[in-house]
Amino acid sequence: MTQQDTLISPAPTTGFSPWAEPDREPLVQFRNVTKRFGSFVAVDNVSLNIYQREFFALLGPSGCGKTTLMRMLAGFETPTSGEIIVDGKNIVDVAPDKRPINMMFQSYALFPHMSVEQNVAFGLHRAGGAAKSEIADRTQRMLKLVQLDAFAKRKPGQLSGGQKQRVALARALARSPKILLLDEPLAALDKKLREQTQFELMNIQEELGLTFLIVTHDQQEAMTVSSRIGVMRAGQLQQIGTPGEVYEYPQTGFVADFIGDTSLFDIEVQGREGDYTLAKWKGADSPVYLRSVDDSPVSEAAKVFSVRPEKVTVSREKPTGEPNVFAGKVVDIAYSGSQSVYHVELAPGVVIKALDTNRLRLVSSTITWNDQVWVSWRARSGVVLGS
Amino acid sequence: MMSAVRGLTRRLPILIPFFWLLVFFLTPFFIVLQISFAEFQYGQPPYVPNFRKVEGVGDFFNQLQMMTLYSYEILLSDNLYWKAFLSSLRIAAVATFFALLIGYPLAYAMSRAPRSWQPILLMAVILPFWTSYLIRIYAWKAILQKNGFLNNVLMELSVITEPLTLLSTPFAVYLGIIYTYLPFMVLPVYSSLEKIDPSYNEAARDLGASGLTAFWRVTVPLSLPGVIAGCFLVFIPAMGEWVIPDLLGGSGTLMIGKQLATELFNNNDWPVAAAVAVCMIMVLIVPIVIFQRAQESDQRRRQEEG
Amino acid sequence: MSRFSPFNAVALTFGFAFLYLPIMLLVVYSFNENDLVTVWTGFSFKWYGEMFANRGFRDAAWVTIRVALISSTVATVLGMMAAVTLVRAKVFFGRTLFTGMVYTPLVMPEVITGISLLLFFVNFDINRGMETLIIAHITFTMAFATVVISSRLIDFDMSLEEAARDLGCSRFEAFMRVTLPNIAPAVAAAWFLSLALSLDDVVVSQFVNGPGSTTLPIKVLSSVRLGVSPEINALSATLIGLVTSAVIIATIIQKTRAVRES
Repeated sequence: MTQQDTLISPAPTTGFSPWAEPDREPLVQFRNVTKRFGSFVAVDNVSLNIYQREFFALLGPSGCGKTTLMRMLAGFETPTSGEIIVDGKNIVDVAPDKRPINMMFQSYALFPHMSVEQNVAFGLHRAGGAAKSEIADRTQRMLKLVQLDAFAKRKPGQLSGGQKQRVALARALARSPKILLLDEPLAALDKKLREQTQFELMNIQEELGLTFLIVTHDQQEAMTVSSRIGVMRAGQLQQIGTPGEVYEYPQTGFVADFIGDTSLFDIEVQGREGDYTLAKWKGADSPVYLRSVDDSPVSEAAKVFSVRPEKVTVSREKPTGEPNVFAGKVVDIAYSGSQSVYHVELAPGVVIKALDTNRLRLVSSTITWNDQVWVSWRARSGVVLGS
Repeated sequence: MMSAVRGLTRRLPILIPFFWLLVFFLTPFFIVLQISFAEFQYGQPPYVPNFRKVEGVGDFFNQLQMMTLYSYEILLSDNLYWKAFLSSLRIAAVATFFALLIGYPLAYAMSRAPRSWQPILLMAVILPFWTSYLIRIYAWKAILQKNGFLNNVLMELSVITEPLTLLSTPFAVYLGIIYTYLPFMVLPVYSSLEKIDPSYNEAARDLGASGLTAFWRVTVPLSLPGVIAGCFLVFIPAMGEWVIPDLLGGSGTLMIGKQLATELFNNNDWPVAAAVAVCMIMVLIVPIVIFQRAQESDQRRRQEEG
Repeated sequence: MSRFSPFNAVALTFGFAFLYLPIMLLVVYSFNENDLVTVWTGFSFKWYGEMFANRGFRDAAWVTIRVALISSTVATVLGMMAAVTLVRAKVFFGRTLFTGMVYTPLVMPEVITGISLLLFFVNFDINRGMETLIIAHITFTMAFATVVISSRLIDFDMSLEEAARDLGCSRFEAFMRVTLPNIAPAVAAAWFLSLALSLDDVVVSQFVNGPGSTTLPIKVLSSVRLGVSPEINALSATLIGLVTSAVIIATIIQKTRAVRES
């Protein structure tokens, strides 16, 4: 992992930020957890704290180890080394049925031979001690919570994808787990339903005051629902932070590229000019101007420069007032209704992406393929990375 | 102690079938091997027991010396056994070929039949498999004998004037094996044909292949796993057939499985029967291992897909 | 494709004619009155009466049924255990040996299985009878039960069992409450297959049976050796009738079940 050179300004925090309180005891602690399958290292020395009432997202491409990390917390995999502490106790040797943790499976894993009601009550029967009426009561309440009380007698095979997802949620929540694990919970739903369900999940989490851990490869989903995101790659945690932090202050090229869209350029730091640091790059003969948030000098070790499309302005007339102004030719336009992303070639093989919201109707847009244009961005908008 | 008990109960699903097979499947093979080295004697059992109780190292060597290769010498010196082996191989190979020749078109036609028909057709192939093996062979006996159905029909139609000798011929044995084992060919071939996405064939046609070329270059290669499984499922058991040559074949049709049964039941020469069994295992171990490898990798592939 | 192409229609007609004509002839001629099997003289139930009056057949049938019921049940349980092991445990000591032992009986010529078990029983002074018959049938039908169950288990979504564990079940409980109900059709199919194989077996039984444990197929084999007889025709037709109706009933049950579920 490489450190970012631009100093991070205090992240925009909401009221809820237990990770910033030094005395706070985490609910879950992964301590140097490693998991090997044969010679393959699925999880590589991961340490991570998750706090009570957090909605924590593990984000990464498939095969990055996020699911394995979650399955170790559920008890379906045993770490090769390291400890997993829940509520002050190491639970590595505790069987999955004895853990105060429940999971919502990616396939939902609804028992096909049981009705919706029986599915939800299943875990309550296992808990022992509860009277029949109590169980029936709680089952009813859970079904109401997910608005499925009308479907209690149906079999899972008779439900739609969204309904199945809600049964799975109700079933996992019925045992009032300390932590709810969600393995790609919305992957099987279509886009509209997915967005709606994201908000439902957030509401339920807030309403019940539970701790949620979600595994997802969808950065949009992670950004929307979570209080913090852990970005994983090849078994390692690349960065942990609030959605704002990982988006605006990515610590590695991978994070910058994986979350949102960005243009990455190799740079070589040359010297300073006032508050700015100058760097040589392939985009133009003139240097690119860099400026950290607190005006401190940018380290000579900086090798990569990243700027997100929405920070880059594209125009036909040469803008004034910004040091970073470069000429280029439009080679591609990705039109997606609300916005367009212009791919502007600054030099042979060097392309920068600039986003423009289509405030006006397309007809009035004047920039088109092969147009000579100017791109510009504020010096503080870019992020400098070590590699 | 507790965890040892728990570990044991957790392993019971492995241990029980494992030990069953170890005792009743693997050990018997070693007994066969051992008896194949024993000497024949008149009496019960009809061989000189060896390795009964080993008392000390000296006794072990003593017993080792009692081992004899006599049964194997008989197998080598009497060309009856050689001929029976070669004839079994030939009969099994030819029968497998014809089972494929009849079975492949049948399986192909089944896989191309309307969807709603397929379960019925599949059941129709499986049904004879559920009806008694013995009865199905017996049926052919009634058809092929001198005054049997086939001769009667041919005489009625004046195709022949004298009844043909069909029973007790190699032809009858081939027919019996093909008939009995046909479902074993059709089922795996059908199941691999049925899994082929029709869009492959459409893609081949789209890219300019004729119907025949598409079949030959796309469908056939993709159905090979089923063909191979089917061939093994017919060839290996056919090689060891006893009942079919016994009921349909004549004295001229040599098959090694029948020879083994003759040595055991008629000649009462158990060591030679055991030696024949050992040789059969040695001949069949190669196709059996290949078959198992194929099954294993097929299963693994399915597991990874699923 | 909603219709049969000419080639397919021909292939199906010939294929099924080959499969079914011999059996159908047998059934038709079982109602022949004549002592000579192949010469039709008139319709009659005569041979059925003779068959049911035959004490030897009845005793043998009773032995066959008892052996088949016991061995198929044990074979199904053992096969289920073996299937779970093979599908779930990716690596364990002796896996190759175990896999080999499970699958080999599928293709192993029955004479070899038969002679091995015979010599094994003789070598250890075990008297041949019902017990040895049952042991032998369990050993070779277990392979088929394993294959049937494991092919269902492969498609079984493991996360269902994990979900049961997650919701508080022990391993055993999770298997009994969630896995078993879901693989039940395959377990039933495995049991039926083992039953049919055991009922039908002649080769292995011929090797390991003893006095008083003659099964029906052994009895049939010895009389078929002597030639074609109308009584055997009647017996064959009866067995074919029983099996066919059992298979058809099983299929109908499965169909209505499937329809009701969807």
